[in-house]
Amino acid sequence: MFVVKRKELSLRERLFLPEIARALGHSLRAIFKPKITRQYPEEGLPTTEVTRGQPRLVVKEDGAMACVSCGLCEAACPAYAITIDGQETDRFIEREPERFDIDMLRCILCGFCEEACPKDAIFMSDELELADYSREALKYDIEKLKRPKAALQKRIDYVYRINERWRSSSSTS
Amino acid sequence: MPELPEVLAWLLKAALIYGGLLGTAAGMTLAERKVSAWIQWRIGPNRVGPWGLLQPIADGIKFIFKEEVVPQGANPVLFRLAPMFSAVPAMLAVAVIPFAGDLSFFGHSTTLAIADIEISALYVVAIGGLGVYGVILGGWSSNSKYSLLGGLRASAQMVSYELSLILCILAVVVMAGSLNLSTIVADQAGHVFRWNLWSQPLAFVLFVIATFAETNRHPFDFAECEPELVGGFHTEYSSMKFALFFLGEYCAMVVMACLTTTFFLGGFEVPSWPEAPWWIQLPAFLAKAGIFLFLFLWVRWTLPRFRFDQLMSIGWKVMLPLALANLFATGAVISFF
Repeated sequence: MFVVKRKELSLRERLFLPEIARALGHSLRAIFKPKITRQYPEEGLPTTEVTRGQPRLVVKEDGAMACVSCGLCEAACPAYAITIDGQETDRFIEREPERFDIDMLRCILCGFCEEACPKDAIFMSDELELADYSREALKYDIEKLKRPKAALQKRIDYVYRINERWRSSSSTS
Repeated sequence: MPELPEVLAWLLKAALIYGGLLGTAAGMTLAERKVSAWIQWRIGPNRVGPWGLLQPIADGIKFIFKEEVVPQGANPVLFRLAPMFSAVPAMLAVAVIPFAGDLSFFGHSTTLAIADIEISALYVVAIGGLGVYGVILGGWSSNSKYSLLGGLRASAQMVSYELSLILCILAVVVMAGSLNLSTIVADQAGHVFRWNLWSQPLAFVLFVIATFAETNRHPFDFAECEPELVGGFHTEYSSMKFALFFLGEYCAMVVMACLTTTFFLGGFEVPSWPEAPWWIQLPAFLAKAGIFLFLFLWVRWTLPRFRFDQLMSIGWKVMLPLALANLFATGAVISFF
């Protein structure tokens, strides 16, 4: 059984007014504190290397896409958001995507595509904003998904580091 | 038949004072949100116009275009009348408050009060007492248990605290020997220590507390307490009718701030400069009233709400005896010394 003991209030506290004055002083000081509001559309959301935003396709330094349209991400995608059509190319990799669509209305931002990719071609970017006026506009095609490698470098480095950790821990067990 | 300048001056004063009152009430809605934001380390509305200054206009437009809903089973006449009953008395009370001393207008000398009547203190109390009807009728005619409870609470609270309020005003009236607000202000002219604040400190504190209860403000806003009554008497109100309730509440706040200034802070008197021109007296009055307007907001965002039984016991067991004792002591001092 619990017995709640009420604190005996002193006369000063029972008069209310001195305590109210103290509280008012407290809130007056708060007025001059630095503001913590984030002005959202102008000030972006804070992101780190861990941020798992929307998936984006890597465009290498030479301007070519890293994707070889193997279809592993398409197969890994639990939400069936990815659609790939491949085509042949004269480059050494022989195949490249002709069409690479991600339906962002289906995408659940799980990052399986990133894990499945054998060619480091798709990574979860730090882009988080996903709003538009129509459903059609949210079906991203290849042109909307292309990002230069430098823009994704933070996440790429992070994924490499984490994968290294997994590899070393599995080798010891 | 009054002269033409007199009529003109009267119309101008009415337009100026009512425009100022409504403008201040609208500004208070913005100030409320701004002050609450600052106290909570936020920025507050800043999207509509510079620093959000046009926010009240945007709110007004929104209220006008919203759908009016009259709940089933509500008394249609009283339901529509109640917001007016709430807003009008608050606006009427401002008519007798002297905002500045003598000013001449086309050779016609007048004071900056719409009506400078002999019983203005009585008038203010009488009109202020009508404000509760809007709340009670709004609560009753909505046909909703929450609204009804809010209205009943408001009536009980206003009746209890009006007593202390009036007794505090009486103490000041006894000091000045007049019910005329202009005379009460003139009585406090001269040195800053002639303000009733110093001779009637207890009445001042009680009066300020009672104004919070009279205007249904925190920490005494039982008529509309959101957690228990969903919004109290205005639960069922929407669009402009809802806005009118708030206009009434904010106008009442402005009026109460002006009254506190008039009764206890020397009204428009500038300390040690009794013959200051009106364009100095008016800002002086507004500055003093502004302090109390800020206090309304400041207290609201500092204190939690009282419990209803606490409110009643403070009103009847603390405030009323203190106010009575204060009035008695004042009377005794005035008559024997």
